[in-house]
Amino acid sequence: MKRKILAAILTTVMAGSLLTACGNPEVADTSEPAPEAQTQEQAPADGAPAATDGTQEIQTVDTSSVASGEDAVNALIANTTGPVDLTVWAAEEDQDMVKGWCDDFAAQYPDVSLSFNIGVQSESTAKDTILTDPEAAADVFSFAGDQVTDLVAAGALQEVSIDTDKIIEDCGGMEAGAVQAAVRDGKLYAYPATADNGYFMFYNKEYFSEDDVKSMDAMLQKAADAGKKVSMQFDSGWYSLSFFVGAGFELSANPDGSTTMDWNGTSKDGIKGTEVVQSMLDIAANPGFLSTSDAEFVTGLTDGSIIAGVNGTWNAEVAANTWGDNYGATHLPTFTCAGKQIQMSSVAGYKLFGVNPHSKNVGWAMLLAEYFTDYDRQLERFTLRGAGPANAKAAASEEVLSDPAIAALASQSQFAILDGCEGGNYWTPTETFGAIIASGNPEGKDLQELLDNLVDGVSQPVAE
Amino acid sequence: MNVYVRYKDHNFIQKFWIALKDGNIWTKLSLFIMGAGYMAHRQIIKGLLVTGMEILFIAYMYFFGVGYLGKFKTLGTVQYESKFDVITMQNVVNDYDNSFMILLLGVITIVLILLFIAIWMVNMTSVYYIQDEDEQGHHINTFIEDIKEMFDNKFHITLLSLPVTGVLLFTIVPLIIMIAVAFTNYDQAHMPPTALFTWVGFTNFSKIISFGQSAEFAYAFRVVIVWTLVWALFATFTTYIGGILLAMLINSPATKLPKLWRTLFMVTIAVPQFVSLLLVRNFFADSGIVNSICSNLGITALLQQIGLVKDTITYIPFLTSPGWAMVMIVLINIWVGVPYQMLIATGVLMNIPYELVEAAKIDGATKFQIFVHITMPYMLFVTGPALLTDFVRNINNFNVIYLLTQDMYVTTNQTLAAANAKEVDLLVTWLFRLTSEYYNYKMASVIGCVVFVICAVGTLITFTRMMRAGREEDFK
Amino acid sequence: MKDLLLSFLRHLLLFVLAFFWLVPIVWLVCTSFSAYPGINISHFFPEQWSIENYRSLLFGTDTVAQFPRWFWNTFVIACFTCVISTTFVLSVAYSMSCMRFGARKALMNVSIILGMFPGVLAMIAVYFVLKTFGLTNSHLGLIMVYSGSSGLGYLIVKGFFDTIPESLREAAKLEGASEAKIFTSIVLPLSKPIIVYTVISGFLAPWMDFVYAKMILNSGISSDWTAAIGLYNMLEKTLINSYFARFCAGGVLVSIPISVLFIIMQRFYVEGITGGATKG
Repeated sequence: MKRKILAAILTTVMAGSLLTACGNPEVADTSEPAPEAQTQEQAPADGAPAATDGTQEIQTVDTSSVASGEDAVNALIANTTGPVDLTVWAAEEDQDMVKGWCDDFAAQYPDVSLSFNIGVQSESTAKDTILTDPEAAADVFSFAGDQVTDLVAAGALQEVSIDTDKIIEDCGGMEAGAVQAAVRDGKLYAYPATADNGYFMFYNKEYFSEDDVKSMDAMLQKAADAGKKVSMQFDSGWYSLSFFVGAGFELSANPDGSTTMDWNGTSKDGIKGTEVVQSMLDIAANPGFLSTSDAEFVTGLTDGSIIAGVNGTWNAEVAANTWGDNYGATHLPTFTCAGKQIQMSSVAGYKLFGVNPHSKNVGWAMLLAEYFTDYDRQLERFTLRGAGPANAKAAASEEVLSDPAIAALASQSQFAILDGCEGGNYWTPTETFGAIIASGNPEGKDLQELLDNLVDGVSQPVAE
Repeated sequence: MNVYVRYKDHNFIQKFWIALKDGNIWTKLSLFIMGAGYMAHRQIIKGLLVTGMEILFIAYMYFFGVGYLGKFKTLGTVQYESKFDVITMQNVVNDYDNSFMILLLGVITIVLILLFIAIWMVNMTSVYYIQDEDEQGHHINTFIEDIKEMFDNKFHITLLSLPVTGVLLFTIVPLIIMIAVAFTNYDQAHMPPTALFTWVGFTNFSKIISFGQSAEFAYAFRVVIVWTLVWALFATFTTYIGGILLAMLINSPATKLPKLWRTLFMVTIAVPQFVSLLLVRNFFADSGIVNSICSNLGITALLQQIGLVKDTITYIPFLTSPGWAMVMIVLINIWVGVPYQMLIATGVLMNIPYELVEAAKIDGATKFQIFVHITMPYMLFVTGPALLTDFVRNINNFNVIYLLTQDMYVTTNQTLAAANAKEVDLLVTWLFRLTSEYYNYKMASVIGCVVFVICAVGTLITFTRMMRAGREEDFK
Repeated sequence: MKDLLLSFLRHLLLFVLAFFWLVPIVWLVCTSFSAYPGINISHFFPEQWSIENYRSLLFGTDTVAQFPRWFWNTFVIACFTCVISTTFVLSVAYSMSCMRFGARKALMNVSIILGMFPGVLAMIAVYFVLKTFGLTNSHLGLIMVYSGSSGLGYLIVKGFFDTIPESLREAAKLEGASEAKIFTSIVLPLSKPIIVYTVISGFLAPWMDFVYAKMILNSGISSDWTAAIGLYNMLEKTLINSYFARFCAGGVLVSIPISVLFIIMQRFYVEGITGGATKG
């Protein structure tokens, strides 16, 4: 039964409710149980936008002027005279895997002399390197979904022009979060590769029961009693939006790279921004809580001082190895705010492959990127690296569903907003804001003033 | 008497003028055909070479230079457009303008033009000199003799040509470009190749002094510049005094095994800064080893009691809260910098005129008096210029600040955060992050200009003072 | 008795200072021999010792750690940089110290101001200058950046040349020696200490820099990197937990040749600085 529910969640929720994109997940009232699988199971299988509340429209892609697979390959081979040199950037830990894929890809076209250079580029900082000199970037590169807007604005992403329909179809259709993450102005700009760039709750079953992990209060209580910590990174906007978006606040990126944010007002659920800040302050002050960076989370986890934490699939292996049978993962808990229990939201992030429009071999680069993100490759990436596939079919496969981290991510995705709602000026001010809260607002600043400053900083135009 | 002796008191513009006025027809023709004068006086190869260079320059100007200069005024008008062609499987790109390349090549062209004018004027005086020599019946150098001259009286030209070209390309041209960018709107919304940027006048400069619209930036600028100067002052003097004291301690005859001690301290120099500083920052991290030791020993609790560490945190924020971080950075800089200064001070101390110290001792001076009246003045006299260089180097001490605070220090000042600055930023590290993370090239350039002006003015004033004071006499 | 106490205090002070100075270095060496790959925050000395970090750094090359490759790259770059920059520095110093020509004073003033110009300020411009010549992403470009402006650092050498008696050069001139001859057979042989100093400091620059190297070698191909970028990269957020000990091992390995050179250079460094400074 559980498996079935998960399958349903995966195929529909990931495709469907993510559409809230930068809209608002529901707020759970204490009186009601959290909107678990039960409601989700009823979501239409085709991923109709069950959760769209009019704030987010689905972008569609015009695919009329696009080459299709076989024609494209034939045209490419006909137009290729010399050797084809392609540079690929992938994350440090994916190097061997990508190297293998490149060799396999080359083997498919024995008549063409294909050669590859594989470079190291971490997905989270790909944008920084690419924007310095887009012409010098790799032909095919891997990057995180929050960078799409900036990369598109800088003209550093090639519009997908081969097999566009098929790629969209494979990801679960136009409405799928993975596709929406890659679409700007009615054009598909990247190849969704993984759907696991989000976060959820890791916990040690030795300390927490399944009931405990439903609310932050209970978790902190247990941890404090045991003299251990529950960790989450407060000084990062990527994590701290969890509270605000959960409370129904707005966050969205504009095409010019700036950010729209209303956290200093009252949310559509009638919660004041200052009340959310107060909740965060309460959590930060709890002896069972610790705000840690990603690296510190791993250190604390291995030395036993951290027994639960908000983090992502990239640390699933460490957690599973350290906790063994006690390893647990689930969606984020609720937190107390203005006397209510509010479900924490999160970011549903994707990792994508992009093609450099300045590439000398744009056609081949597109074929390669498509190959990197097809069903088999995504499944292989899951097996080798534990990465949650963006491909709908791969995501629904048996072995993917049985992975606790991916399952947790899937059940969290119903509360998540789409990555990429953060504009260029979102990060530094939220980092500072989170740092102030994590350190307990030492200067005793007025909470409203904190929020006003935050919103001012975040909403600045990118280029003054 | 040849022309150079007759006119030696004239500067080169005057010489050019005299050549123009008194030159014969061939000399005057050299205005247009630069080698004409040489060829008329039997220096055929030299004449051909010079003319060849002129033709190259004119060709460059005709084919490229004029084009770049024409666009230099607007920095380009044709927007990048690209369309994927499904037949050829290639992107079809229009003939677009790249603002940055226009700026760069424009600057290089202007530099070339200025160089050419200078060479052209020098060439005139040189041609006139040949004419004069010939008229007086003196020997005219053959080409071989000219080459020989390049290794003798004109050896400096041979020696300097490559180094000067290097400086021109890698320091002067980038410097001019940086200054130019400060007058454009080159930022994330205007990034070549897909977007154009253009001249905007003094708009960017007004942002660092204005209190109105972008008050955050002006505020951050003030905070950062104050800390930059405070830091440079502390960093320079702590390491300087520390180095002298340490050197005196080690070199004192009462110290056993001076060599061993010296080597021990020098180990920190032998480890490259990016290793030692990255190491130290993990050493002092919030959840680092020093913090675990301190909390085990009860030091953290003690500091909390006396109020140096806030009650709300359970660690000592060595590198993460403003006050602590500033002190720690200066201390860590002492750790890195004192051994260097000790080395220099050791050398200087060894050279202190022995008679001076002896004479003072005979007069009954105490050790302290000797230090204040002889050692320190001598040190200052010898290392004064180096002290100034150190100060400027510390204003731009990118390594120490960047390596210790990047990804480590989060500001809790929201106004600073809005300008992407931190309390512990120097102007250079702020500038670096503005470019590498926020692509705000225009504001980074403005900051760069300010840094450069501060450093250049400071240097000039101090150097001219020092020259004028005739410090050698002072000391005696 | 009082003397003995003073001497004891003096050595105690030195000992305490040296202790503080060496603690982080000892930690570096210890961590490099730790069996735990990440940062050990609870114990100063590793719980388990191992040479695995050195082994995997030197022999088991993955894409993150290609240390022998980086070491070699840096070595080649350092050799070329050192030759070019030494040539430049000596040339400029000789011209400024031993020759007299019209633009000399002006050039010296300009060079003092330009010397104040830190490289970080115009990185982007330097990058695109290199790009115009198609030299980005190549070791040649990096060598040019490291040595291109080196002529500006001539002051110390000039100070040294100034101390060479003018009478020596005058005598050679009277015997008909050209300036080039004087430079190569009189001034240079007398300047061994300062040449050694120049050579070594030119050689060390590429081992220390990571900012320019990171910018210019931007293809991400890790086998092209220098030791500095490679080691710096090991401390990326996602890697630090599994590579910190290897970073330490790499740091130790890089420090060894540098220490040797530094000990050699030490003497000349002091002579050069003080010699140059006294004569101004």
